Amino acid sequence: MSILYDEGQQAIGNESRRVLDARTGKDRLLKLLEQVGEHDAAFWDTAVEQGWTALAVPEEHGGLGLGLVELGLVAQASGAATAGAPFLTPGYGVTHALVASGKADLAAKYLPQIASGVVRGAVAFAEGTDVLPAVPATKFADGKLTGTKPAVPGALKAELALVWASGTNGPVLALTELAGAERKAVSSFDNSRLYADLTFAGTPAEVLAEGPAALALAREVLARMAVVTAHEQVGGAEALLHIARDYAVTRKAFGQLIGAFQSVKHRIAEMYGLVEIARANCIHAAAVAGTPEFLLAAADARLTATEAYDTCARDCVQVHGGIGVTWEQGLHLHMRRARSLAIEQGNLLFWEDLLVETLTGEAA
Amino acid sequence: MSEIETYRAKARAWLESVAPKYARAARGHLNLSVEEDLALGRQYMAEKYDAGYAGINWKTEIGGQGLSNMHKIAFDSEEMQFGMPNGYFGISLGMPIPILIQYGQDRAWVKERVVKALRGEEIWCQLFSEPSGGSDLAALRTKAEPDGNGWRMTGQKVWTSWAQYCDYGVIVVRTDPTVEKHKGLTYFWVDMRAAGVEVRPIKLAGGDSHVNEVFFDAVRLEDSQRMGDVGGGFGVALHTLMIERYIATDSAGFGPHLDLFVDEARELTINGKPALKDGRIRSAIARNHAMRAGLDSITKRAFAMMQAGMQPGPEGSLQKLVAVRSRQKLSELALDLQGNQAFDFDPHAYVKEDWGTSWLNAPTGRIAGGSDEVLLNTIAEKVLGLPQDHRPDKGVPFNAIPA
Repeated sequence: MSILYDEGQQAIGNESRRVLDARTGKDRLLKLLEQVGEHDAAFWDTAVEQGWTALAVPEEHGGLGLGLVELGLVAQASGAATAGAPFLTPGYGVTHALVASGKADLAAKYLPQIASGVVRGAVAFAEGTDVLPAVPATKFADGKLTGTKPAVPGALKAELALVWASGTNGPVLALTELAGAERKAVSSFDNSRLYADLTFAGTPAEVLAEGPAALALAREVLARMAVVTAHEQVGGAEALLHIARDYAVTRKAFGQLIGAFQSVKHRIAEMYGLVEIARANCIHAAAVAGTPEFLLAAADARLTATEAYDTCARDCVQVHGGIGVTWEQGLHLHMRRARSLAIEQGNLLFWEDLLVETLTGEAA
Repeated sequence: MSEIETYRAKARAWLESVAPKYARAARGHLNLSVEEDLALGRQYMAEKYDAGYAGINWKTEIGGQGLSNMHKIAFDSEEMQFGMPNGYFGISLGMPIPILIQYGQDRAWVKERVVKALRGEEIWCQLFSEPSGGSDLAALRTKAEPDGNGWRMTGQKVWTSWAQYCDYGVIVVRTDPTVEKHKGLTYFWVDMRAAGVEVRPIKLAGGDSHVNEVFFDAVRLEDSQRMGDVGGGFGVALHTLMIERYIATDSAGFGPHLDLFVDEARELTINGKPALKDGRIRSAIARNHAMRAGLDSITKRAFAMMQAGMQPGPEGSLQKLVAVRSRQKLSELALDLQGNQAFDFDPHAYVKEDWGTSWLNAPTGRIAGGSDEVLLNTIAEKVLGLPQDHRPDKGVPFNAIPA
């Protein structure tokens, strides 16, 4: 696939930015921070209306049959707006798992509902500090799940979850309807992500993959979601770069624009460098999805995007001085989102290790 | 396969055919003196010219091949992997000769020079920096005063690469000190063998002496040696910097490939445990890989854009800034990892294969061709639209700027 966006892809990027700029409001997002259990419903309605939930679903299941490149562009736009309900990325993870597992009946059952936004997906892989535990404590036996997955993004309201569990013969990737699970909301620094502890007590589930195939598919799903998130991080980082630049060309101190001080302008130029390196890695990763290069490319994208968003969040506030730490000014929306996205889909520590394993051919 | 990829494959085949004679792998262990290596380099350049790989993106009427910038970048990136003895000609063909092609007055003479430069028979240097200003080019003090129908030039240049082996140079000098500093400059070519020209090599921290001080004592310049208008020298110099956009990049910052660091980490230990299992080392590998992959993707995208007839984005300007300073830090870490073994140092080792020389020579890379700070200023001002620094010399005639 080309590493240049075609006209259709550019249109998706531009249109999603335009729609989100028009419909996202800082006041609404700030309110959500102080409410446990509420997501940005207006964003999700927009996502459904614009067909973003259908983007990566195959056409035979009512989707648009597009992929990671297009979804990445939407994620970038939603990252810039700190919009986003936590369903778009895991919904894609569930979609990919359903398609790749070859379970035609399950795909036919759920994918049209995912495309239409009726069913929202969550992905429950992590346990404790492990992103993808070698032997998950959550058990799968006789078609039933037992155990707890802590603080799963989106899980408070999602209808369907992809769960990483231990089966009788190695790991299992299982799909379960969350109506049959107990959910407990987690109060967080970024509450609209709808983190919830999921407890399964003999909850019925379907197997998508088992054994080594389950591990390979879980990694692939995680890598694909990480690339979507990396795009979202680039969108956020780039927005902060522009906010910092705009402030530096308006605010004066010591008789001149603060952007004329090298301590400020170099800080902003460094932000630009991080954003562009991460963007280039994202574009490359999305273009090589499905090839043997993908896992390494996903790790590159994830590491640089996390560094870019974290640094931009930190430094954009610093460039603003006192106004930057006020509730009303809202830069903390990005600070909070930078942190939640840095941890969802696996933290830097996980991805550094996975990158080195992949690069050096170490046993997983 | 695209036309460019076919060309790249053909170029690679030719490079492999001459590699046994010229490549780093073939001559690295011969302990050649600089003069011997340069002689071999001249032979290589002549063979390259005869094979049709010289002046790839220059017009045929001037002695080039008439191909695109992509053809040139494709060849250069292949050539770079062999470590051919071409370093002496990089500046000559990269900046002075393209400017000569654009601005040289006597076209027949220009063509003769171009062909001789392409064949490695003549080398040109670029005489820009002075003791009074490197990053601040327009602060230069070397002056040329009218002398009959020509000029007489006096002053000093510094950091001039390969000047001791050069036949000609291009130079920016002050022809009018009574106007703003960048408006009083004029661009000439100069015969490096002319009376009054003296070259003194400077030994650098890494031990080599490829840069020089060049002194001019009442050197006569004909007006036909002028390139561009009187007072238009700063514009011509800026044009030089634009040409650099089409040079091959190296995400390793012209230091060792990350694979060499990984190899070292496989072999060495930290407190008796395998270095490759150490989190600090893994983090360094992962971060460097991700950063370099990003730079490589920027290059690939720029290449694809040029192929599609589009103008590449300004993110290409990040390459040297990001790559060289991370090479510096990675080289330090590689030496730390070697422990006492790192003290066994060969000052002549190849910087792309040796962490010691890579580390010791890295500061040059962060200063030459635009220091990190100047590059950051350029990105901030030209790409992001941030204001210029406070400039007390702005709008002031050169001879009225407070010392």
